[in-house]
Amino acid sequence: MRARRFVGRIALGVALVGSAALMLVPWVWTLSTSFKHPNDVFTTGLLPSPPTLDAYQDVVTLIPFAGYFGNSVIVTVSVVVLNVLFDTCAAYALAKLPLPGKGVLLVVLLTTLMIPMQVNIIPLYRMMVAVHNAVPALGADTLSGIVAPSAVSVLGIFLMRQFFVSIPDSMLEAARLDGAGEFSILWRIVVPVSWPAIATLVIFTGLTAWNDFLWPLIVTASDGSRTLPVGLALLAKKNTIDWSQTMAGTVLTALPMIVLFVILQRRFIEGLTQGSTKE
Amino acid sequence: MVVVTVLFFVPMGTSLVYSFSDYSGIGPLRWVGLDNYADLFGDPRFAQAWGNTAVFAVVTMTVGPLLGLLTALMLNQRIPARAFFRAVYFVPVTSSLVVVSTLWKLLLNDRGPVNSVLSTLGLPAHDWLADPSTSLLAVSAASIWQGFGFETVVFLAALQGIPAELLEAARMDGAGIWRRFLSVTLPALRPTTLFVFVVGVIGAFQAFDQMYVMTQGGPVGSTTTIVYYIVERFKNLDLGAASAAAYLLVLVLVLISVVQLRIGRER
Repeated sequence: MRARRFVGRIALGVALVGSAALMLVPWVWTLSTSFKHPNDVFTTGLLPSPPTLDAYQDVVTLIPFAGYFGNSVIVTVSVVVLNVLFDTCAAYALAKLPLPGKGVLLVVLLTTLMIPMQVNIIPLYRMMVAVHNAVPALGADTLSGIVAPSAVSVLGIFLMRQFFVSIPDSMLEAARLDGAGEFSILWRIVVPVSWPAIATLVIFTGLTAWNDFLWPLIVTASDGSRTLPVGLALLAKKNTIDWSQTMAGTVLTALPMIVLFVILQRRFIEGLTQGSTKE
Repeated sequence: MVVVTVLFFVPMGTSLVYSFSDYSGIGPLRWVGLDNYADLFGDPRFAQAWGNTAVFAVVTMTVGPLLGLLTALMLNQRIPARAFFRAVYFVPVTSSLVVVSTLWKLLLNDRGPVNSVLSTLGLPAHDWLADPSTSLLAVSAASIWQGFGFETVVFLAALQGIPAELLEAARMDGAGIWRRFLSVTLPALRPTTLFVFVVGVIGAFQAFDQMYVMTQGGPVGSTTTIVYYIVERFKNLDLGAASAAAYLLVLVLVLISVVQLRIGRER
């Protein structure tokens, strides 16, 4: 019995270490390739010899990766700010205000969750083109065009609503009796106790915005408005790929999120798996 | 609410209209009835795209959850550095699909490390992404690598929610490890499994990024998924056909989800 348990522990250890290696080696390979000379990509092994920063230099000088990076940051920050604003307000109204037809509204919102983005993408694109023709600084092929469809998230509204419902009405009533308006109640009473939910919302919408690909690909047409995933995909889909450059771009795209994930691991996992334990 | 209306319902209505018209983005809209739908059903590429999407969904949604459950069971043992291993599986989930596809395109390259390892082991090297008979499976493998950490984390959370007394009681009754797994653990995981499949299948049917980066839908259409097809028609300014295809996708997704929820609730 004891011997069998021992063998089991060994097998478990081997499986864990082996699978971890399978998960980590691709990242290490990416990192090492980004430091290789283009001619050595497939001839040298895991370690670049000699390591060079040429690929990173090329990626920011020959290809506007610095611009893509800036665009991604602006888009992500805007999406997060707008979502915190809109989702929180909408969720508060749905959870705590006496709206007529609230139940119907909720069901209607839920059904939109079933509809994939792909159905709306064509009309949304036409809409952004129309906006762009009216006001050249906005709409298609601008950062605002990338942000607009993500400015509010139904999933985000639900997330916040579930949290707000659990806040006791008595807390709000007291403030109402003191003559506080709904916005000041939201800002001064509801928001301060809702930080865990807001943190989840920030991570969820931020990560989605940073990694989003299909919509930014469709709505952008020039380097001035492209985000990191779009820029990287354009590099990687070429027939003759410069692998060191492409991997340098991959590292620049992936690294910010990996660093954030390592720092905020628990919050990340909560933010992305919300809902799995409910229902 | 106004924002939601503008962003969801107006486009939804518009694309429904498009799907019955021959709109090309410029010029007037002309009503063509069901012509777009007829066009789709007459296009062999459309049928091929459905086939590819189905294969992709079945492969990723059997191997992915299985791997996720397996790793979750491993992490649920008394092991050192559990948080580290969990993070290792989860990192690709937080990364962009474009990033993961790009790095797997390198690994699976003709002269890439996967083939080097294979030839070291004495196995034949293969150009995985360029051969139509392996390209879809290669893309599926990369997608599984990217996504199964999500299932790991979800299953692990559910496993830790199973009361220890329940498993202890089963052990007292003389149930072996398999018996305990089949009659206590698996039934307790049912709601989680349902969630994993409903969310996962919807995601699998919308696959696009991996194919765009790794294979551009090829070779010879072998990795053209339904969304890839929609985007292609859209780029050719066949807005009507693209919208019609998108609506068919929604219809199929709703049907599959309903069936899944039915099965999940019955047992």
